[in-house]
Amino acid sequence: MHELSLVQGLFSQVKEMASQHQAQKVTRVVVKIGPFSGVVMDSFTFAFDILKKDEELLRHAHLEIIRPGPRLCCSLCGREVDGEKEDLDFKGNIFPGQLFSQGKRCPHCGKGSLYPSGGDEILLMQIEME
Amino acid sequence: MCDTCGCQATKPSHQDKKLLEINKSLLAANDSVARKNRKHFDKIGARAINLISSPGAGKTTLLEKTAELLSGEFTFAVIEGDIETERDAQRIRAKGIPAVQITTGGACHLDATLVHKGIHLLEKELGKGSPRLIFIENVGNLVCPAAFDLGEHKRVVMVSVPEGSDKPAKYPRAFMGSDLFVITKMDLLPYFDFSIDEAIRCARAINPGISVLTLSAKTGEGMEGWMDFLKSESMNQDEDEDEDEDEDVA
Repeated sequence: MHELSLVQGLFSQVKEMASQHQAQKVTRVVVKIGPFSGVVMDSFTFAFDILKKDEELLRHAHLEIIRPGPRLCCSLCGREVDGEKEDLDFKGNIFPGQLFSQGKRCPHCGKGSLYPSGGDEILLMQIEME
Repeated sequence: MCDTCGCQATKPSHQDKKLLEINKSLLAANDSVARKNRKHFDKIGARAINLISSPGAGKTTLLEKTAELLSGEFTFAVIEGDIETERDAQRIRAKGIPAVQITTGGACHLDATLVHKGIHLLEKELGKGSPRLIFIENVGNLVCPAAFDLGEHKRVVMVSVPEGSDKPAKYPRAFMGSDLFVITKMDLLPYFDFSIDEAIRCARAINPGISVLTLSAKTGEGMEGWMDFLKSESMNQDEDEDEDEDEDVA
């Protein structure tokens, strides 16, 4: 995807907040990246580590990524399904196409197929600063 | 003065760790310009349609054919996105349709700021009056354009028969956020192992509400469905108003 530009966007938000709060140093940045966002975590972390070296404010910042589990929805009964509880075989990055190829059915009604419900969020959650 | 060590630091003390709760999208800057674009389109009474596909799926050809079939039902203009060259805009202008070209100079997708620039270029080209529909033809790419709201009212994703029917399964993000899925180059169906059923099933597994059209801009097959879609869009001016208001509050 475009992880580098996402991290650039992240840094400009962090810098703006830091200057509003007269912080000298950012120590931790917490982001939430949904399972269907298409973001490649390794590339995101790599971009963060590379770009922070050029930023005095962020040089010592630690990146924390919250990764919510996949939420799914039944195409027939409409009920929500917790993808992790259903033990769907997700490994590494999750792509909605996997739902289809695995042919999983809704655990509530047993008939409907499952499709992604939300999970495309890419959010800045918290900034810890000094 | 800092009350921990007595240094001259002003408040907040340099020893204080402060935790800020933010909860804001990393694409917030783009999304905010996109909202402005949408308002701009609404103000001039135009519906914007974002066309997304891989390179060569037939976006420009579909628009050329649309221009040929037009018989006064609606008017349209095109904002063309490409990495380089004016070629697509020239093709559209040759059909008598107002078009402007945005070249990204390397970027693989359009973002809301580029489209904002395109809107103003287009207004210069149009002079007075505005079309009912404005197409934004994205850079040919089935990956990155999906993440960027441009301020469009409808998003159309296209796959051509030679690309293969596995595309919705392999590029799900482009299908998740789209309103309409158009399968193009249907005249080539006899020569390729493209399963329409598989393509539609995969697209609906990701996005159950997505509409589907199959067509060939070359032979004209299925074009009436496309023209009907555009006609109903051109008459549909206020549908997304409530949604926009909600976004503004948030």
